[in-house]
Amino acid sequence: MESFITELLTLLFAALRSATPVLAVVLGESMTQRSGVINLGVEGQMLLGAMTGFAVASITGDPWLGVLAACAAGIALSMVHAVLVLGCGANQIASGVAVLILGGGLSAYYGIPFVGDKIDTLGNLNHTFVSDIPLLGQFLGPITPTVLITLLAIPVISVFLFRTRTGLRWRSTGESLDITRNLGHNPAPYQLAAIAFGGLMSGFAGAALAVDYTANWVEGMTAGRGLVAVGLVIVARWNPWYALPAALLFGASEALNLKLQSWGVDISPYLLATLPYLIPLSVLILSYRGLRASGGGMPAGLKVVFQSAR
Amino acid sequence: MEIQLYNITKRFGEVTANDGISLDIRQGEVIALLGENGAGKSTLMKMLFGLYPPDEGSIIINGHETLIDSPQKAMSLGIGMVFQQFNLIPALSVLDNLLLAYPKPPFWTFRRLFGAGAPQRKVLAYLEELAPGLDPNTLVRDLSVGQRQLLELVKVLNLDAKVLILDEPTSVLPPQEAERLWGLIRKLSDAGRSIVLITHKMQDVMACAHRVVVMRSGRLIKTLSREDYNEASLVSLMMGDSNRRSEIDTTPLPEVTGRPPRVLIRNLHAHQGVQSIDDINLNIGAGEILGIAGVSGNGQLLLADALVGLASLTRGEVILDGITLHSASQAPKTSERIAYIPEQPAVNAVAGDLSLTTNVALSHFRQLSFFPAWEPEETLTLNIIHRYQVRPDNPALLAGQLSGGNLQKLVVGRELHGRPDLIVAAYPTMGLDAGAAHDIYQALFAKARDGAAVLWISEDLDDLMAYAHRIAVLQGGQVSGLFDPKTSNRLDIGRAMTGEKKTTTEHIPTPAEAHPRTAS
Repeated sequence: MESFITELLTLLFAALRSATPVLAVVLGESMTQRSGVINLGVEGQMLLGAMTGFAVASITGDPWLGVLAACAAGIALSMVHAVLVLGCGANQIASGVAVLILGGGLSAYYGIPFVGDKIDTLGNLNHTFVSDIPLLGQFLGPITPTVLITLLAIPVISVFLFRTRTGLRWRSTGESLDITRNLGHNPAPYQLAAIAFGGLMSGFAGAALAVDYTANWVEGMTAGRGLVAVGLVIVARWNPWYALPAALLFGASEALNLKLQSWGVDISPYLLATLPYLIPLSVLILSYRGLRASGGGMPAGLKVVFQSAR
Repeated sequence: MEIQLYNITKRFGEVTANDGISLDIRQGEVIALLGENGAGKSTLMKMLFGLYPPDEGSIIINGHETLIDSPQKAMSLGIGMVFQQFNLIPALSVLDNLLLAYPKPPFWTFRRLFGAGAPQRKVLAYLEELAPGLDPNTLVRDLSVGQRQLLELVKVLNLDAKVLILDEPTSVLPPQEAERLWGLIRKLSDAGRSIVLITHKMQDVMACAHRVVVMRSGRLIKTLSREDYNEASLVSLMMGDSNRRSEIDTTPLPEVTGRPPRVLIRNLHAHQGVQSIDDINLNIGAGEILGIAGVSGNGQLLLADALVGLASLTRGEVILDGITLHSASQAPKTSERIAYIPEQPAVNAVAGDLSLTTNVALSHFRQLSFFPAWEPEETLTLNIIHRYQVRPDNPALLAGQLSGGNLQKLVVGRELHGRPDLIVAAYPTMGLDAGAAHDIYQALFAKARDGAAVLWISEDLDDLMAYAHRIAVLQGGQVSGLFDPKTSNRLDIGRAMTGEKKTTTEHIPTPAEAHPRTAS
């Protein structure tokens, strides 16, 4: 019994660590979509962030500089989306896909020299006071700084969005551009900030993956996490608090996949590797049924994205 | 605050919307701007609110000629306007909507985190006066239309408006809520505010206007004070020589005894998104015009979709001439025996990128051959265009190139062509001028005389009472009353529309409570 609980807690904390990059993207994309903009390019931003973060950490030897560089790279690439969508009035879906492919290509090309490099990691909570906590210490120990920062982002975003005036305008922008304009507010700065914040969070997510979680750079290493996150935004109903369970769903499926492989389950590892995508997808489909009936918190402005090519 | 509009003229292309209009608005006065659709009332007031510049003439405020070039400028001068279409975000709370519209926001206001702060109290002050008991954390989507309108009024009052322009405020309200609004208007004017009431309804004028200004086809016909008018004289001033309403020929319901009704709606349940209809039982005889009244959003459109075969039923059935047309066990399908005029036909019933001819042909595409012969379709389209005076009259034009009103006429013509057995019409005359509305009513009711069953959804209770044989009221997705317009009165129908419920949130203040701070 005790070993079962240990096993379960190990799985949960493993899930938390592998969910962190996805969680960061879900948080960023939720904020972007709350302003009425969809950015499908987060996967590309994540890849560019991962490569840049890893490269900077490798060159300077400072992983924290790597994290900062990753955030900057994410923002920079997201500005391509901002220019295309807000500046040129391009179709948001097409622009997002362009950013996705651009990020993949850039990171693959500039990342070649860094494949196989070794970098210093950000460390973890082992050998701090946390690891001395009885019982829980052994689980909290492996927690890394990017996990803590991402978890901390949840209340910060929530307070910003739901308690401040700026957050209120942010939401009104996502609900209706026309009404926001009629009330005398200019929606453009809010959408720009929203795209940039999405870029920041996806760049950070790339660093969490390459600099922190795996300490490694491989071309295309995000393996669809960014796109899964866009789907999980719907499961999380654009709410930062629900983003945590939604992302944990992905993390737990991934941890389960590894667990099943280590138990020697007689299923091809290639099929098992689809679990982290299959399970969130099923939940997405199930929750979308409920969403369609109730409206489910979808910012009304998003409907326009699909209705018009502007 | 005194406002004088002097010799205002406004043209839109060939059309003169306002022709040399002079009008003064005195402090504490309620002016009714009375006229038919398209008479130029809204245009005049939109110029005062800074939405369009006048082509000629001037606006004089407190003796100084003033240029009002934007709504922001108008608001800073103390002029506020409540539009027919509300500027409220349904997904946000009452408080959030009020804060969004508040003009002097601290850049970074934490609210609810440290209790109710000063800005919050200021924003809510008028709300507590006008709608005491309404929880500011309620989402706007859960409010009734009347409550939303109060909220718009609060927004304008929060901006310190001394002149309030209300555009057709009672057209969306059931009679009871309209009465409350009249009371509120009287109180606001007693407190020194001026109110301009844009309306085409006689009841609005009789209930609260100090002066009435009658407009027709862009001209100011006459200004009358309270002592000088009565309902009949206003109607003839507003309509010109003829009162079109009485002209329409609605022959009484033919005797149907012994014959089963053509359409039986049995035990109908359906839901779609947040809308639902429950247990609707209605029947419509041959030649009968069944009016559907109700505050919008109470299931009217879903009922229409369910009858036509666009929404799936969860229970119940629709029977036409003894044959089950739709039931819960079948997937929904449309039938060419049913004509459907949906709401906003320009959006819901035409493809903007196709020609008028193609749009007409699409309504009976099952009868077209694989390689359609277009000449008969074009002839048919031309017939419709001439019969309903669609402008411009070229069947090769793309539908998107026509105005909403003209597309509406085209769709009505297309749907009423032939011999439909059941006609479902949702707000068929909404937004049309009196002449076009009259033509559409005449065509619709002529089909009833030919034996079609007509289900007619309308927001205009006066029209329903004038022409429908029976009126069913929908409230909360259910039939809350069935009325004979000859023997019922408006208030009973209104009570059915609001569902009788007396909620505290719809309380209207007594004179003692409602003394908005005097305009300084």
